[in-house]
Amino acid sequence: MTLALLIGVVWLTFVKATPMIYAALGGTLSERSGVINIGLEGMMTAGAFSAAVATYYTGQPLFGLLIGIIGGAIVGWLLGFLATRFKVDQIVAGTGLNILCLGGAAYGLMLLFNQPGASPQVHSMGENYRYLVWLAPVAAVGMQWFLSATPWGLRIRACGENPKAVAAAGLNPLALRVMAVTMSGAFAGFAGAFLSVGELNLYSDGMTAGRGFIALAAIIFGRWNPLGAFAACLLFGLLQALQIQLQGHISWLPTDVFEALPYVAALIALVGAAGRKAAPVADGVPY
Amino acid sequence: MTDPNIALRLRNIHKHFGPVQSLRGVDLDVRVGEIHALVGENGAGKSTLAAIAYGELAADEGTVEAIGAVGLVHQHFELIGRLRVWENIILGREPRKGLRLDTQTARRSVAERASEYGLDLDVDAYVDTLPVGVQQRVELLRELERRPSVLLLDEPTAALAPDEIASFFRIVVALSTHGTAVLVVTHKLQEVLDYASRVTVLRHGSMIATKETAETSIGEIATMMIGGEIPALASRKAHDVLPCLHVTDLTAQVDDSTVSHLAMDVGSGEIVGIAGVEGNGQTAIADAILGLCDFDGSVTFAVKDPRIAAIPQDRLREAVVPGWSVCENMLLSRQHAAANAPRGWLNRTTMRQAAETVVRDFDVRPTNIDLPLRSLSGGNQQKIVVGRSLLDSPHFLLAYNPTRGIDVGAAALVQSRLIQARNDGIAILLISFDLDEILAVADRVLVLFRGEIRGTFTRATLDRARIGRLMAGGT
Repeated sequence: MTLALLIGVVWLTFVKATPMIYAALGGTLSERSGVINIGLEGMMTAGAFSAAVATYYTGQPLFGLLIGIIGGAIVGWLLGFLATRFKVDQIVAGTGLNILCLGGAAYGLMLLFNQPGASPQVHSMGENYRYLVWLAPVAAVGMQWFLSATPWGLRIRACGENPKAVAAAGLNPLALRVMAVTMSGAFAGFAGAFLSVGELNLYSDGMTAGRGFIALAAIIFGRWNPLGAFAACLLFGLLQALQIQLQGHISWLPTDVFEALPYVAALIALVGAAGRKAAPVADGVPY
Repeated sequence: MTDPNIALRLRNIHKHFGPVQSLRGVDLDVRVGEIHALVGENGAGKSTLAAIAYGELAADEGTVEAIGAVGLVHQHFELIGRLRVWENIILGREPRKGLRLDTQTARRSVAERASEYGLDLDVDAYVDTLPVGVQQRVELLRELERRPSVLLLDEPTAALAPDEIASFFRIVVALSTHGTAVLVVTHKLQEVLDYASRVTVLRHGSMIATKETAETSIGEIATMMIGGEIPALASRKAHDVLPCLHVTDLTAQVDDSTVSHLAMDVGSGEIVGIAGVEGNGQTAIADAILGLCDFDGSVTFAVKDPRIAAIPQDRLREAVVPGWSVCENMLLSRQHAAANAPRGWLNRTTMRQAAETVVRDFDVRPTNIDLPLRSLSGGNQQKIVVGRSLLDSPHFLLAYNPTRGIDVGAAALVQSRLIQARNDGIAILLISFDLDEILAVADRVLVLFRGEIRGTFTRATLDRARIGRLMAGGT
């Protein structure tokens, strides 16, 4: 009985952590290249919405997943383009994209389905979404390897530390940043698609519920390392899992208190990880 | 190229930034195997010319021809502190093994190249743990990896201690004897005579002359640089020195700048100079004395309620508001003085009088005090900062690099005014990275290394060579 409960909590931890992990891995990539990705939330929304729409019309959740990745990547590219070509303040641009994606999806619901709030139900991946959960730790290890052991990883890290040095080495730091932020959007889009056609079977307004921002906290808590961010996401996932498990048992506390738990934990984690010593030096600094 | 002895040829180079003409028709030849110095005051266009030769900037007019690759060692190194030496050097030319970066090959080839050029380097060290002189070797090695036939060095010794300068030039001389054409951009004329074979002088973007260094002198080069004689400094009045500032057991840290258990005195009517290479604790001393950081130990003044003034290190960030007028800037840091706000609001008349006094006494041009400060040249801005600091006859003045980045004429004027202030009985602590300035202006010299005073000299006991050794941590 207790063992079953334990296994249940562990599994739920991974399920709840998975979208945050993908978003945080993407965000880590973006920040290591020197672009703060406040727009993760919006890119997740774009991924969730476009995946649901594509699945609705084709009935193929895997195709929906692919479209979700592309949808997130497009928003990512837009942030990269604004942050490099026009040197727009990255926080402002990312926040703008968050609002744009949320509003755009709400408008899209009206336009396509003529119903506010949520899309009709679509074919979900059913039990196959488990594979996406198992893929998350593999992706974290892969991202760590990519950043630390490949030439492109070195270039991206260099970009986040001193883009001028990258230019002095004959490379184009702006192109590298756009590439990294676009990839980052693809990861966030994947995370969003996991929500709409993996874990659930529809898109509803606000379904990302701040996971993009928790992913940002996980990046900082994980000290800008993919594996660190992965561990931080598991911690936040555990809190969500506990919240779900405990809700029924302690009836005298309002459920809102439980639901707030992961967000409060993210805040505390950030205070604990205060000091930006580990942050890439040129993170958030336009080149 | 027609003449095989010329490695780099610039002809009739023109460049302007907005309305400012930076270069007007500059011609320059650098021969194969020579060290050629390019000198001029700040703003004469030296760095712009180097950037054009490197291809970083495009000229508006004129031609650049070079045989082979051109390398540039920047004045402010373009290195990545949190990457290792070898990672910095192979960036953009990474050896691969499949998808991976071939770490072993990369490390070995960097180490081999370093020893080939006689550069003593630990290739696995993180760059930000290395002393400035070693960082410069990293930057040099990165450029040498391109096998340049022309090597441009932009103010390469600006951040180096005297010892490091000598070992740096040993490497440069070795490169040139192996056929590399070297162009050194500098304003240190002694280095020009010591190491270069020819020198080209720029003034206000125009080429004044190219000379063989064997046939010229520091005086002649300086005269060509500033277009006249260097004005002599004010003379030093002999007088009694009374105690003013007393610092004991000072331990403080500001970012990377630290001092520990430091003791010193500055008397009224003397200039105490702190000689040291940048990054040895100067900022911690300045901020502790001015009360800008927490510290242990004591900083006391002989007078009660001393009037303290400062010439901050970073003019644009700490001393002025560039968008405000000259007159408004003159009030910064003095806004509470009774004369400026007798009834709680600002008195325009005294404000303008003060501004006009400084403009007159310090020969600030243009003289219109309603112009925004940013429209003035760096030298004139600095004159305003210095003039302002002396307006309310302070007891103590802290001058941190008071002449950095300004032209020789303005620097001489600022230094003269500091000596006059000392003659008037003001206690002055001069922190400067420019040893020549310290030697010219200070009554006593303290040598700072890694947050400790390593030596004390009076004007009678000044020993330039020994001070240089102490600055580098020697004895």
